[in-house]
Amino acid sequence: MARKMIRVLLVDDEEINRVVARAALKAAGGGGDVLDEAENGAVAVQRVRDAVAAAAPYDLVLMDKQMPVMDGHEATRRIRDMGVTTPIVAVSSDGLPADVEAFITAGADDFTSKPLSKEKLGIILAKFRLT
Amino acid sequence: MAAAALRDQLTALLSSMFSQGLVDEQFQQLQMLQDEGGTPGFVSEVVTLFCDDADRIINEIATLLEQPVVNFDKVDAYVHQLKGSSASVGAQKVKFTCMQFRQFCQDKSRDGCLMALAVVRNDFYDLRNKFQTMLQLEQQIQAYDPKQQ
Repeated sequence: MARKMIRVLLVDDEEINRVVARAALKAAGGGGDVLDEAENGAVAVQRVRDAVAAAAPYDLVLMDKQMPVMDGHEATRRIRDMGVTTPIVAVSSDGLPADVEAFITAGADDFTSKPLSKEKLGIILAKFRLT
Repeated sequence: MAAAALRDQLTALLSSMFSQGLVDEQFQQLQMLQDEGGTPGFVSEVVTLFCDDADRIINEIATLLEQPVVNFDKVDAYVHQLKGSSASVGAQKVKFTCMQFRQFCQDKSRDGCLMALAVVRNDFYDLRNKFQTMLQLEQQIQAYDPKQQ
């Protein structure tokens, strides 16, 4: 059976990370998914709001931590404050238990370390039944 | 030079980059993504982004460390950024140096930061030279056979 197309929001201020994540998601998901990108937390919150208003919510949000304008923790909190239940997976190179805990407290469902890879994304997609 | 000889040269170069610890399995992952995804030029795009980012960040850090009062939080943020870019391209040696660099930022040690900056700059220049040679070899190989990436 064909897998359903999913909508993913990738939030990262570094272009190089977005380019790598885009290719890894294409490889992990088969290439048919919709990938939107946001370069900071504030843009991400707006994209999620717009998606909800358009009745086309995201299936997954991949959220970086350290970004200008608004960081990943604050963006995650604001998305949850909107009542959005979309899985949010924190993606950061700071993988200390305190960093993970801070993201989970903010409302993230899971945490994975940078850089994103095809394998890591495959695990995430399977965990949230997006395969 | 024949295409086969160029390919041997490229293989030897990549092998030495791995054995010297300049790049790690993430770089292999990028090569796999390029091959599997049928996206010629993907590795070149990521390498170019990394080199441009790293060059800019190293210059920003050098400027910050020249100030009479150093803003170590800002230096740390740039080093964090460089560490992220390095991890994305698989620049293992630069990434490890950044990890040590961050400790000097946390200790607010100007001397330590200056030493770490010199090391990271050397590591980066060494890697950039190898990346440039790699990209040139790939271009030469492709010129022999445009279907070969």
